[in-house]
Amino acid sequence: MATTMRGLTQFIADIRGARVRELEEKRINKEMANIRKKFKDGNLDGYQKKKYVAKIIFTYILGYKVDVGHMEAVNLISSPKYSEKQIGYLAVTLLMHENSDFLRLVVNSIRKDLHGNNEIDNCLALHAIANVGGSEMAEALAEDVHRLLISPTSESFVKKKAALTLLRLYRKHPDVIPAAEWALRIISLMDDEDLGVVICVTTLVMALAQDNLDAYSVSYTKAVDRLNRLVIEHEYSATYAYYRVPSPWLQVKLLRLLQYYPPSEDPAIRSVLHQVLQTIMNNSAEISRNVQHNNAQHAVLFEAIGLAIHLDTNSPLVSTAAVLLARFISSRETNVRYLGLDTMAHLAARAESLEPVKKHQSTIILSLRDKDISVRRRALDLLYSMCDVDNSELIVGELLRYLRVADYALREEMVLKIAILTEKYATSYKWYVDTILQLISAAGDHVGEEVWYRVVQIVTNTEDLQEYAAKVVFEYLKAPTAHESLVKVGGYILGEYGHLIANEPGYSPLEQFHILHSKSQFCMAATRSLLLSTYIKWVNVFPEIKPQLVLIFERYRHVLDSELQQRACEFYALAQRPEEDELLQNVCEEMPPFPPRSSTLLSRLNKKQGDTEDKRTWIHGGKDANVDRELTRRKTLIQTNGSAASHTATGATSTQDVMGSLAGLDLGRTDGPSSSEQPNLAVGPNIDRWYEKLTSNSDGVLFEDVQVQIGIKSRYQGHIGQLAIYIGNKVPTPLTSFITAVHIDDPEALSVTFAKIPPNVIAPRTQTQQLLHVECKKAFSTPPILTVSFLAGSHQTTSIRLPIVLTKFLDHVKLGQADFFERWKLIGGAPRESQSIFPITLNSAGQLDLPKFRQAVTGHRFNLLDGVDPNPNNLVGAGVLHTSVEGKVGCLLRLEPNKEAKLCRLTVRSTSEDVAKEAQKLLQKSLQGGT
Amino acid sequence: MISAFFIFNQKGEVLISRLYRTDFKRSIADVFRIQVVSNPDVRSPIITLGSTSFFHVRVNNLYVVAVTKTNANAALVFEFCYRFINICKSYFGKMDEEAIKNNFVVVYELVDEINDFGYPQNSEIDTLKTYITTESVVSAIQAPEVSSRITAQATGATSWRRNGDDVKYKKNEAFVDVVEVVNWMGSSKGTNLRADVDGHIQMRAYLSGTPECKFGLNDKLVIDRSTVGLSGPSSGLADRGGSDAVELDDCQFHQCVRLNDFDADRSISFIPPDGEFELMRYRATSNIKLPLRVIPTVTEIGTTKVSYDITLKTTFSPKLSATNIVVRIPTPLNTTDVDVGILGTGKAKYVPAENVIVWKIPRLQGGQECSLSAMAQLTSTTTRQVWARPPIDIDFQVLMFTASGLIVRFLKVFEKSNYHSIKWVRYLTKANGGYQVRF
Repeated sequence: MATTMRGLTQFIADIRGARVRELEEKRINKEMANIRKKFKDGNLDGYQKKKYVAKIIFTYILGYKVDVGHMEAVNLISSPKYSEKQIGYLAVTLLMHENSDFLRLVVNSIRKDLHGNNEIDNCLALHAIANVGGSEMAEALAEDVHRLLISPTSESFVKKKAALTLLRLYRKHPDVIPAAEWALRIISLMDDEDLGVVICVTTLVMALAQDNLDAYSVSYTKAVDRLNRLVIEHEYSATYAYYRVPSPWLQVKLLRLLQYYPPSEDPAIRSVLHQVLQTIMNNSAEISRNVQHNNAQHAVLFEAIGLAIHLDTNSPLVSTAAVLLARFISSRETNVRYLGLDTMAHLAARAESLEPVKKHQSTIILSLRDKDISVRRRALDLLYSMCDVDNSELIVGELLRYLRVADYALREEMVLKIAILTEKYATSYKWYVDTILQLISAAGDHVGEEVWYRVVQIVTNTEDLQEYAAKVVFEYLKAPTAHESLVKVGGYILGEYGHLIANEPGYSPLEQFHILHSKSQFCMAATRSLLLSTYIKWVNVFPEIKPQLVLIFERYRHVLDSELQQRACEFYALAQRPEEDELLQNVCEEMPPFPPRSSTLLSRLNKKQGDTEDKRTWIHGGKDANVDRELTRRKTLIQTNGSAASHTATGATSTQDVMGSLAGLDLGRTDGPSSSEQPNLAVGPNIDRWYEKLTSNSDGVLFEDVQVQIGIKSRYQGHIGQLAIYIGNKVPTPLTSFITAVHIDDPEALSVTFAKIPPNVIAPRTQTQQLLHVECKKAFSTPPILTVSFLAGSHQTTSIRLPIVLTKFLDHVKLGQADFFERWKLIGGAPRESQSIFPITLNSAGQLDLPKFRQAVTGHRFNLLDGVDPNPNNLVGAGVLHTSVEGKVGCLLRLEPNKEAKLCRLTVRSTSEDVAKEAQKLLQKSLQGGT
Repeated sequence: MISAFFIFNQKGEVLISRLYRTDFKRSIADVFRIQVVSNPDVRSPIITLGSTSFFHVRVNNLYVVAVTKTNANAALVFEFCYRFINICKSYFGKMDEEAIKNNFVVVYELVDEINDFGYPQNSEIDTLKTYITTESVVSAIQAPEVSSRITAQATGATSWRRNGDDVKYKKNEAFVDVVEVVNWMGSSKGTNLRADVDGHIQMRAYLSGTPECKFGLNDKLVIDRSTVGLSGPSSGLADRGGSDAVELDDCQFHQCVRLNDFDADRSISFIPPDGEFELMRYRATSNIKLPLRVIPTVTEIGTTKVSYDITLKTTFSPKLSATNIVVRIPTPLNTTDVDVGILGTGKAKYVPAENVIVWKIPRLQGGQECSLSAMAQLTSTTTRQVWARPPIDIDFQVLMFTASGLIVRFLKVFEKSNYHSIKWVRYLTKANGGYQVRF
């Protein structure tokens, strides 16, 4: 600060010098009384106000209550001097909580500072918003922050702060920010030349994209492009290289962002991405001595491996990654080991084959004994994920052995995981029972209820197991101390199946009774009541020990616990009934098998993991678990998107499925894509005319306004087409943040992909060409939509239909008259025929405009067959449609104009009714359109 | 019993550390520092963490701490701590960080002497002073003789008094000071919410030989009994005696007092230690005579002003006078300034550091009254909080007056040589911090 405040310095010195707390309080009371007096008297100049508010802030941060000076702080904010303004903002952010009434007074001042031309003021205001961030403030100011973020005149550092402020507001009040509406505008900033801005914006996009996957799908291309430029083309300023790694933070963020999206289908993007990941992995091959360099490189590498796994677990990249990971998990550095294990768990969770992971099983098991508990946890997760039928016995055995020495914090989770694995991969039921009982006796306290419920369920449902289980339980109960869970299992199993082993020596009813009853005194009421139930079952099957059992019921009739008492009384009465009574037998009938139900263990485990801020793109467990999860996530996304769509029905939203990769979304919908899903089409008579013209021509202008001109050249061969889009910049400034994207309604029928990632800048008065690969898979009806957005002063988005229609994929067929009519008849009438009658206009001479008709028909790539129809005015055409999925579809047409009636009848017959209808519609449009 | 004993300074540094038993390590001191010294919320003098209990007493920014793992008698532990403080005061004149640091050798000697394996031992100051001295060591020749005398005394029947032949005074005098601290809480309507007296009788005995003393108070029980014995229950004398007598709720005596005798007939007889000691402590809660009456009128005028009108009246006889009267009148926390006017004597001013108006009156005769009127200006605050209105606090001293009405009826001294002794009795009633009135 330029001016020192002597009074403040003195005040702080006094307080620091106070020997006792009481003295400090006295000093503060005195100062506060003075300040109150000064504020009350008024007439303070800016300096004094600043000084007193600073003193108040200091008092406040010492922990004293302050209830004056808020108004003065608010006044300071609107001061023109920086130092005063700064203290004002400091006071506001510190003294006022987000629901304070005073914030209403500040909102306007803050808005003024946001709008001001002084960047420093802008920053102060942004800081205040980010720090306080109340909902009222968010609602009032989010718009302004956004404006500051996208304004081309904002300095980079203002943009950075604005992006982070928006992020903070979004995290706190997600509904305040129209994330989908701002999507394109925010994503366009990912092209900023300042990498700092890019980092901040990427962070923001990450947060927004998590909840609005489709709206932000354009960021996928941007992220890939940016990675390409960073990693491959080394296009970054020297300040952003951290120990020779180009901006590792940005790389990590971009790689993470890409993991939110399903793998792209676009070959161009895939190849670039592959190259990027390859480069990253190659870079890390050299191990440098420098710790920081290693850290940065590892950070990027782990995220890259994560992405590689996400993209395709079978790619050679992943096998390279597996080799790298193997090296990491035996590294000497704890952090590297931790990350290695974590990433390997990711691999194990997603990979088809666990072979590459299994190779390192012994190392991983060794990691369970790592000195760092977080590493041990990761090792546990990994073991859990990589377990399958082959290695389950080994892994479970190892886990059981480790359980005895494991940390208490780890045990409960371990028990759950062991229980799940044992059940899931049990090779024999005996092994299952052995393991679980061992588990219960080893880690009694950490065994949740679910574990023993499950044992009982399985034993009850598996008849072969019952005798064995009873025996084993009996053996376990022989130990001098048995855990309560074990007593419960024992009570249930011996009660139900004790009679199966009663005839063998050493397992007599009396022995069973003694061993179980000796444990009862150490148990809680719930367990004891379970034991009572066991006893009544025994009364039924072991009449020889009935006296002892009845004695126990007798005694329990007088306990205070109501549950125990009730059971005892009822059982006593039941046992006292005469021998021939069948009630006891009926009551103690063997338990029926449980209806098959899913294990509650898994839900317990997943509940424990919870939903944290850091959204993982995978969960622990095998591949199946992840597939399930993906499905449910999709479902919820569709639901949320559906509701979001109805909210933003104004139509300004433009959402595209660039790569058609989110196919699942549309399929899941019953009512087809809603209107807000589609880009808003640019309208105008010219646009329609250009489009119509291009449907029957291969080259021409598609769109033109004062800034850009878009032209098309196309070539079709069978079901494949190539479309060159020429975009010309007509203004003397470059068009930046240029984004082109194609939206396809039905990606199953038509695929349109860019040959390479489109450039994002168009220099002034130049033209760029973008190549599109088109493939027709099935009959389709709606043309794809091209969305072009760019920054030229302001942000502009234009959406236009691409002239890719079904008839483009037709090929000529030469047919004679006989052939034609034979096929014509073969196809027959409706529904494979589509017919319409529509008015036509005559040419200036009052004649039928035959050349035009002919042109329209040939433009749609039908072969005009002359001399087939006896009436020379009638036109007959034939074509065959090539599709990659449905194969070839023949298509015949007849056009019968009538001069007198000024009407025309168009009939299209095709083996596919969709094709007939579509072709008829297209043709009719061009025939009419020419007028 | 007490397992460890510590003295901490204000900052939590350990000045004295003594472990009497092996169940603690020295590091237990850190626990106290973290849990108590650096925790501003702790107000209770006993903190129990797990099975460990910390008893602490604060004196002059020092913490005197006793630590135990057993279920020790808390009163005993505190008595031990206070006794230690008294010993230190007697040895060093004051008990503060400097004194402890300068005399730490003596302090360790004392700490070892007055406690053995956690059990408190002889803590009589006079006795201790005979063998724990601040001076240089006595010569070796004298030592056995002296030490045998000390042993005899310390283990004898009257461990608190030297052998009778060693004590000789020309003038045999005994001073008795009855000091009462009166606590009072008055409601805004003038009624008593609480009134009690903590009194102690301090004695300085300069008496030769081994005197046997007998001490009489106007204890209600004693007087009732004597009147009953003399003239029967129906006599008018009994009523008069009863009304004058005080009802003592609770008495505590110096160890020299024969408790058997007190229990039998409530007579106080003892062989006094030489010099100053506290003969007894007592508490009275009924028939408290309040020496000062305060009539406060405080009104909040809107949200910007508070007006005060406070009248002070003395209720005792005009022959006596109250001195050093300090009235502390709380002001709202958002006070900016106060105008004060006084009718009568004294000076008053607003002290912002403590948020009070301090009104000092050096002397006020019995039966007089004086008043203060003041107007406090308030400023507006962010959060409208109702003023909690803490009570007005009055400190004062009145000589030759006891709020409980206690009177020393007699002090008799019997000695073999039958010398004449002079006795002086003085009364003092004071209030410090506990004399308050709500408004």
